[in-house]
Amino acid sequence: MQLSIIKLSLGSLLLTLLYACSNEIKNNEDVKKKKADTCKFYRYNAGQIISNLGCKNCHIRMAIEEKDEYGAITFIGLAAMDSLKIVDYAFTKKHKGWYSKSGTFKGSKMDTLSDCEIKSVIRYIKDAGRDIPMSSQ
Amino acid sequence: MRFAMLQNQPLTGGIVAKNLRISDNGNGELSLYGDFTITLKVLDLTTNGAPNLNSLMTFTQQVISNKLRGGGYKSGVSIHKYNENQKAFNKNKIWSYSIRYNFNFMVNVIQINMLSQLKGNDFVLAVVDTIGHQFTDQYGQIQGSAGLTQGAGWPAAVSYNSWLRNKYFGAHEFFHTLDLNDIEDGNKKNRLMYHLSDNSGHVISDAEKGDMMQYIVGNINDMAKKEYSNINLNTVSRVRIFLNKSIYAIKYNKAKFR
Repeated sequence: MQLSIIKLSLGSLLLTLLYACSNEIKNNEDVKKKKADTCKFYRYNAGQIISNLGCKNCHIRMAIEEKDEYGAITFIGLAAMDSLKIVDYAFTKKHKGWYSKSGTFKGSKMDTLSDCEIKSVIRYIKDAGRDIPMSSQ
Repeated sequence: MRFAMLQNQPLTGGIVAKNLRISDNGNGELSLYGDFTITLKVLDLTTNGAPNLNSLMTFTQQVISNKLRGGGYKSGVSIHKYNENQKAFNKNKIWSYSIRYNFNFMVNVIQINMLSQLKGNDFVLAVVDTIGHQFTDQYGQIQGSAGLTQGAGWPAAVSYNSWLRNKYFGAHEFFHTLDLNDIEDGNKKNRLMYHLSDNSGHVISDAEKGDMMQYIVGNINDMAKKEYSNINLNTVSRVRIFLNKSIYAIKYNKAKFR
């Protein structure tokens, strides 16, 4: 009788250990999955966001100077800004409050962009000031 | 924008516009009217000549004309508020509009033989022997380059033999100059701006047309004032920089580059 109880206890312990070990492996895999960076830059998609936001209506793309003839900042001017300043300028202060919750464009997509989309937009803007080749195959 | 200094002096450049007019329907829609002349200058820098260049240029002119025809439409455009009475935009107010671009386009694709025929606000496509530049697409594959540019307003280059192989390459490169991006999505292979080898079509989407119109009107604040041509793009300097950048490995007849 005692032998059976000991056998049963040892068996349960073994099963518990096996479960705990296999569960730990699963947890490690979850951690690994969560660590993978899913934010990839794809220029076309970033350009679509810029187009929908209408950035180039006011920050004209054609100009090669940082300010236009009226003193307004151009797209090249935005590209010359430090990226943190662009985040602050475009997404935090949100253009004099126009894009804040009570502003003229409270429903604008700018309020709903994900962190990855914001990063992509910043890179797209910065790329305007870099020599980025565009190829056809 | 650059205005004509003398009444009889014709404006030149990649974009010349006349009869520009803006109409506000008072209900959030602006209609833009105007007659535009788009000019692309083609500079033959091939070592052995380009016997079929004329037919390639004619084809490119037709493609650009067809794709720009009919103007475009863009909704949800945030822009300075338009004052119909003053015929001007109010710099202190931003408004959301739908914009109809009712533009007529005349497209010229003309050959030039020397740099002195190029001005600072021209668009240019250089025809070269080869382009050695390679790029990695979003699928991790290394691809070669038949054509190359640095995007909006920049000069572009196309290798002559590649252009012969695919007549659309000239228009593809020029649409980069008008600020369109390359496409690599597997479900958009039918688009002209899809730039991988399994391209299967030449469609320009309405959104892309809207983006090109937006680039073409440039500084919309000046639109209703007078005839205008696009501002300085530093083209002559840029074409030198672009063609001679070592990482692009562009081969061409340097004796023709004068």
